[in-house]
Amino acid sequence: MHRAVHAAPDLPWKATTPDQVRVYVWEWPVRFSHWVMVVTILSLSITGLYMHAPYTAAGGHGAYVMGWMRFVHILSGFAFMLGMGVRLVWFFLGNKWAHWNQFIPTTKSRLKGFIAVGKYYTFLAWKPVSYIGHNPIAGFSYMVIYLLVIVEIVTGFTLFSFVVNSPTLKFLTGWLPRLIDIQYLREIHFLIMFVFWMFFIHHIYTAILVSIEEQSGLMDSIFSGFKYVPEDHLAHDLAETEGSEEAAREVASVSASSHKPAA
Amino acid sequence: MNDLPQLALRDVLAARGISRRQFVKFCSLMTATLALPPRYTHAIVKALDKTTKPVLVWLEFQDCAGNSESMLRSGHPSVGDFVLDLLSWEYHELIMAGSGHHAEAALDRVVNECKGEYICVVEGAIPMQDGGVYCTIGGKTALDIATRVCSNAAINIAVGACALDGGLVRSSPNPTGALGLSEAVPNVPNLINLGGCPHNPVNTAAVLVHYLTFQELPELDQYRRPLFAYGNLIHDQCERRAHYDAGRYVEEWGDEGARKGWCLYKMGCKGPEANYNCPSVQWNGSTSWPVKAGHGCIACASPRFWDTKSPFYDRLPKVPGFGVDVKAEEIGWIGTAAVGGAMIAQVVGNIVRDNIKPKDTDGHNHPPAN
Repeated sequence: MHRAVHAAPDLPWKATTPDQVRVYVWEWPVRFSHWVMVVTILSLSITGLYMHAPYTAAGGHGAYVMGWMRFVHILSGFAFMLGMGVRLVWFFLGNKWAHWNQFIPTTKSRLKGFIAVGKYYTFLAWKPVSYIGHNPIAGFSYMVIYLLVIVEIVTGFTLFSFVVNSPTLKFLTGWLPRLIDIQYLREIHFLIMFVFWMFFIHHIYTAILVSIEEQSGLMDSIFSGFKYVPEDHLAHDLAETEGSEEAAREVASVSASSHKPAA
Repeated sequence: MNDLPQLALRDVLAARGISRRQFVKFCSLMTATLALPPRYTHAIVKALDKTTKPVLVWLEFQDCAGNSESMLRSGHPSVGDFVLDLLSWEYHELIMAGSGHHAEAALDRVVNECKGEYICVVEGAIPMQDGGVYCTIGGKTALDIATRVCSNAAINIAVGACALDGGLVRSSPNPTGALGLSEAVPNVPNLINLGGCPHNPVNTAAVLVHYLTFQELPELDQYRRPLFAYGNLIHDQCERRAHYDAGRYVEEWGDEGARKGWCLYKMGCKGPEANYNCPSVQWNGSTSWPVKAGHGCIACASPRFWDTKSPFYDRLPKVPGFGVDVKAEEIGWIGTAAVGGAMIAQVVGNIVRDNIKPKDTDGHNHPPAN
């Protein structure tokens, strides 16, 4: 279930510093769902903004601007859901850094780390706290985003049930407009888009910040999956103790025998 | 009640100057409205010919009589003409000749003598606050009358937005505690809701004709509205839909797009969220309907539309707690800009921290252990 952490050879554009090892952190389903989310949020935002308030006037007899916008929006919505589905499965099947317990702080160390990282972000600490995977605040914010993703999918499907007039969809989502009127569902669906943008700005900022502060190849890692981690961090990484004991032993043995690059 | 002379419908209509041809046309209209195949026209003609004028009572509570007016002024010869002749209307405040105790006695007679056989139409909301004193007829509250009359009816038809869910009367702040029939009197037998402000008389006639022909109600949706009338989006039946798909919208009232009949989406038309057959049945003898006349749909047939579909001239409702002038869009953009600003402040803060930090604080902290 938990893949072994293994050191890998250097890449031409990024050499490990003497005390660093290359670690495979983000497996392909994590990267895949990440990039699906990036692309679809972009296309969903562009088409969704048009559907909210059409900003270009169409000309010509063959114009089908809104038709295409809606088509791309619906198509992107299904792609978005596919990406989320893959990620959802990987909360349970993925490695320790992709596991659901990295997102919901349930352990004492995770809660302590939440405060420690918060102190650095609010300028109450000099030194950052280094995590190989997500730090507790980052993980928690991703969980909030995933919850909003679920809200977007449910409201989106409810709106879609009106469009396609499908009895099955109406059976599944018909309870929702009785609780919250369809207009407010539409408004929630619209406003959460802005929350995604807020998250996007913050996400880019922290990614660059951490990448510079830790020299960990963080920006590369979402393409390649590999991060550059000081060897002693592997020993201090707590993700394994938040997973199973078997995984913890595995990590410990790999960490002890990992390849040390020549100085 | 059955000692009244039974007149053949054909003779009654002829006496009113309505030809057989017009009657068959009416039956065709009913078949089409009910979305039945054309062969059912014959069944409807036969069934209506044989009808023995079932008793109908029409109750009015907190209303504007708009639904009655809509029924009576529905065209020429009106749908109302046919419906008035198909049924024996024993009680309808707006049009009955009797008044006072005589009128109330007629209602009592129907409830006592035709128990479980008569058709009851309800128009208007029912006030619940302060013992229902805000609407009383003959010393009885609307709730008492509705409970007594509706519970003993064969079928109950709630016409108009007020009878559906309280409508305008119930809209915020609802000073009289008004409710629609289904909430004020739960479990009324065979309830069918015909929302709309006002109801479309063609739909109401179609429900009556369906009941007279098949002795049952048409198929209903989750709000107990008939699917033949409330099964499709206005947007999907709209004659301006092609302009919507193309991307041609009215930007302001009276502009070029408005004169050319472009889509009213940006003017706040609620067609995309409203279920009704308004575009196909239309009004005033099928001459027009709101969008055809150049005004956006306000979703008058949707539940609680006064509160949920307003503002009628904006795409989205106001966000609660942000004042009436603030649009959802503005909240979104300002929030996003604020987060952007906070991130810039963070960047500056990090540069400052890196420059002023003591020498011995290089490197990282390890995550705290348990």
